[in-house]
Amino acid sequence: MAHMKKNKVLSAMWKARYIYILLLGYFVWLIIFHYGPMYGLLLAFKKYNARLGIWGSEWVGLDNLKRIFVTPVAKRAIWNTLTISIRRTIFQFPFPIILAVLITEMRGRKLKKVYQTIFTFPHFLSWVVVGAILTNFLSSSGTINTALANMGLSKINFLGNSKIFTSLLFITANWKGMGWGAIIYMAAIAGIDPTLYDAAKVDGASRWQQIWHITLAGIKSTIAIKLILDIGGIMNAGFDQIFNMRNDVVNSAVTILDTYVYDITFGAVPNYGFSTAVGLFKSVIDFILLILANQISGYLSKGEHKLIK
Amino acid sequence: MKRKKKRYDSVDIVSFISLTLLAIVIVIPFWNAIVISFETESAYIKSPFSWLPGEFTLTNYEYMFEHAEGLISAYKNTIKIAVIGTVLGMAMMTAVAYCFSRQFPGKRVLFYIMLFTMFFGGGLVPKYLLIKNLGLLDTHTAIILMSLASVHNIIIMKNGFESIPNDLPEAAMIDGASDFTIFARVMLPLQKPMIATFSLFHVVGAWNNWYWPTLILNSSDKAVLQVFLRTLLANAGGTAIAESSMGNLSDNVYSMGIQMAAVFIVMLPIMLVYPFLQKYFVKGVLVGGVKM
Repeated sequence: MAHMKKNKVLSAMWKARYIYILLLGYFVWLIIFHYGPMYGLLLAFKKYNARLGIWGSEWVGLDNLKRIFVTPVAKRAIWNTLTISIRRTIFQFPFPIILAVLITEMRGRKLKKVYQTIFTFPHFLSWVVVGAILTNFLSSSGTINTALANMGLSKINFLGNSKIFTSLLFITANWKGMGWGAIIYMAAIAGIDPTLYDAAKVDGASRWQQIWHITLAGIKSTIAIKLILDIGGIMNAGFDQIFNMRNDVVNSAVTILDTYVYDITFGAVPNYGFSTAVGLFKSVIDFILLILANQISGYLSKGEHKLIK
Repeated sequence: MKRKKKRYDSVDIVSFISLTLLAIVIVIPFWNAIVISFETESAYIKSPFSWLPGEFTLTNYEYMFEHAEGLISAYKNTIKIAVIGTVLGMAMMTAVAYCFSRQFPGKRVLFYIMLFTMFFGGGLVPKYLLIKNLGLLDTHTAIILMSLASVHNIIIMKNGFESIPNDLPEAAMIDGASDFTIFARVMLPLQKPMIATFSLFHVVGAWNNWYWPTLILNSSDKAVLQVFLRTLLANAGGTAIAESSMGNLSDNVYSMGIQMAAVFIVMLPIMLVYPFLQKYFVKGVLVGGVKM
């Protein structure tokens, strides 16, 4: 019996031989470029010595990981990561939804198209470009401040005041991304049964009531799924944006785990072991949260949004 | 919409006004940047914001093309990486997606090996050391290889292949076609629109790729556009540094014109093609949330 079964598998494998050939290159790449760095995670438990390499470096056990919790800047980075992410959820999450509703409600097909092009465009630029444009716009001698000065008002230190700068993170992220974020909700709205609106009109519901009771009620599950996925990404507080917009004055207020890892890796006294440990700490929590978020959103969407089936 | 002949109600007014304001708020910083890039220093100092250049000049662009080291090579390098990366990446991703849409022994295990990398990675230092140990520092090969294929996009493509009725590949199989032939001759042509959309995302991704290129490409003749721009912004004194001593920017005001010219040159291609390709990008997000 067992022999027969083995033969069956072998013949199925022979039948699929071209599939394995097609997959070969990809898995070689995957092992080198994705699993290779995972081997390097050993450094989190070592004191790195470039001469001895990853394997040869001296083991230090959990020292690097323990150090995270006694290093003030590291603790601050963890705190900032969480608080910035949570505030992003509060101040950024609702805007694409509102935008999607407004775009669907607005009259004028052509104008709508033009607006949508404008709203989604900044998403396709890097934070290097957007950071440069916005920094110019908001700097002390930039456009807004000169306009304020010309009106006889006092200037606002947008980029040099850490409180204002942190709020600006949310505003500028919306500026760049809310138009693109709205698309998924617009698609959900387009999927709502139009007869619901007709019925509501017969019942005398105003358009505002229709927006609340039909449109928003109709995209509830999309909103819930998006929210859970966002919360799952809580360890990622927006590296690209912060890295390209920060400056020395506000840096400590916006140091998140990702920028911190960068700073200690390429700083004056690099400590590869410690920065690997900080990265590992972040990755492990990130992994757990992403899997949880994926499972919950998959459950809510009855499998539709679930990647692991 | 159907309500065309009705009078404008409060929803119409609110949506029109708020969306128009938003459009203006988004356009103005871009417009401002472009105007500054075509403006002389004195006009800029007089008024950093004007609807049209206070005093038109091309000096900033002349400087960019004549003196700024590496702009042309950055353009060439970016195009090279975008083209090679997209062709290789699409070939690999479609092949893998096709394979995972078929049945074969070991599929589940291999799929999980792939999926795991979507949720967990080695992070900055191990990746950097890997590139270093492979001898790929300061090479375009590293940049192309590092962003070759995305698991997320492979899964979406796999779903696309699975949506093709199974009798099609089965019939080809009975006719004696191998998986190579079925993939290349039968399945791939059916997925042309999807492949076009993903290629666009890959090209834009390559165009905007800045982080690893910044870390890896050290020599100026290897730089890509985003690295070129970052270096130029940093060397220009960086408004950020001057920011700490509020209002003391006069010494690098002129550099603002050059910075904005560089920004414009880097984003121009996307600006030119985006309005025409927008619908494909939107389609991309709708087939299953393409991530960039």
